[in-house]
Amino acid sequence: MFTTHSRLDAVKPDPGMDAYWAGLDGGAFGDQLGYGYINPNTNQRLLTLGNSTSVSVSVSVSPKKRKGQSLQVVSDKEKKIKGCSEGESRTTNQNSNSKEASTNTSSKEKSKVSEVQKPDYIHVRARRGQATDSHSLAERVRREKISERMKYLQDLVPGCNKITGKAGMLDEIINYVQSLQKQVEFLSMKLATVNPGLDFNVDNVFTKEIFQTSTSEFPALGCSSVDSAYYQLNSTDQVVSYCGLDMGINSAEMGLRRGISAPISVPETFMDSSCFNQIQPTANWDADLQNLYKMEFEQVTLIPFQSHQFTGSNEGSNMKTET
Amino acid sequence: MHTSSKLKSEFIKKWVKGLQICCSSKKNMDFLERKKKIKLCADIALACAKNSTSWSIALISEAKKHDENKTLVDNLLRPESQIKPQKTNHQMCASHKRVRSKKILKKSHHVCQRMKKMGPPKSNIATYIAKRLVKKRTQVLKRLVPGGESMDEFSLIEEALDYILSLKVQVDVMRTLANATEVLNQSDSSIFD
Repeated sequence: MFTTHSRLDAVKPDPGMDAYWAGLDGGAFGDQLGYGYINPNTNQRLLTLGNSTSVSVSVSVSPKKRKGQSLQVVSDKEKKIKGCSEGESRTTNQNSNSKEASTNTSSKEKSKVSEVQKPDYIHVRARRGQATDSHSLAERVRREKISERMKYLQDLVPGCNKITGKAGMLDEIINYVQSLQKQVEFLSMKLATVNPGLDFNVDNVFTKEIFQTSTSEFPALGCSSVDSAYYQLNSTDQVVSYCGLDMGINSAEMGLRRGISAPISVPETFMDSSCFNQIQPTANWDADLQNLYKMEFEQVTLIPFQSHQFTGSNEGSNMKTET
Repeated sequence: MHTSSKLKSEFIKKWVKGLQICCSSKKNMDFLERKKKIKLCADIALACAKNSTSWSIALISEAKKHDENKTLVDNLLRPESQIKPQKTNHQMCASHKRVRSKKILKKSHHVCQRMKKMGPPKSNIATYIAKRLVKKRTQVLKRLVPGGESMDEFSLIEEALDYILSLKVQVDVMRTLANATEVLNQSDSSIFD
């Protein structure tokens, strides 16, 4: 946590603002946020949410011991600030966020005059006909931050487009999070039943991972034709080559071939991507698998495998029973 | 989204690794235990894959409290484990301080607001009710999102966003895995028939 006063000393007010601040003693504000500058914190999280002019900077409020003084001084200065013309004012983040949480704030350009803003400080201009009180300005900043995030959430949570109020949005978010958590529970239960030994085919898993990294979808119809073609390719040489290699890699093959042979009623994402991998020259597949196996197992390489076609036969199951 | 697929791959790797560690320790687990282990591994793996968010840090530190999970967590965190502990400790201390200071502030606020609230509600009941609703819901959300207790509204929403994204990833991965193993088992059984 940095100290605000050290930051302020390094600050020079904008040249245009000299006229306003001339009357205010710089020294008195040495350790306040009196100008209403909000100093950024060192741990920033940059989030640009579609608004090109907004820069989000995380802010930390001044440490506790200063809070009492600074709030007082700030209120004094605000009275002077109100007297400034053009309805321009700066706001502190202290009033709105008197808790010691660090928040992300964004700088916005609202009024008619646009100045070059220092990226570190939050400058908020009062809109026409709105109060220039620092409290309300801070409130406005806060509200706008929140509404931005709400918009983002609307895209994320399905079916939220019609709800505009904050409470309704929060309701939807809560429901969604709860339903996702319940899904996780249910799926873990399902996995527990389906797999009595917790011995997931690791490579089965990796095949899935590769499927997910593939971006395009393959039509389900194409899959079936491919399947039939590949069914024929259950050559014995594959079985032979499997024997010599690590069981792990075998099950990868098995997993993939199983995936292909599965009926199309299997969920689409799974099927589509698996078929996609079938058809394509398996460049991605090879590279990815290679990396994975090298990282995780450091065992047998897949190179002998890559030339083989992945078929939808049940060779793998035979392998399983044999070994 | 390529970021989500990256997250997915990270998640799968860590999850499977964690499961291997889990089942190496105990041989025959009954159904509920297995389910718990699976879920735990999945949660921790997800949190480890998404390292820098505060909800994930909260989840990890929560899990570390139980000794039995410690090895699991450490293994899954291994590449970043040097960095993580300091960060988590620091963040946890900061969050505790924040919680305490917030509580004090809230109490003082309550007193002030009780004085204020005598007037406005009469004229602005709608906004008053709306605010109460929002407050209640943020409380609920705080309970849902791990580590949400010590966050202010704004960062809570952000964390919720992030958490939703990662939950989606988790559900996706688990679903495909469940379906895949189901298919495998089906084809297995069909052979024997």
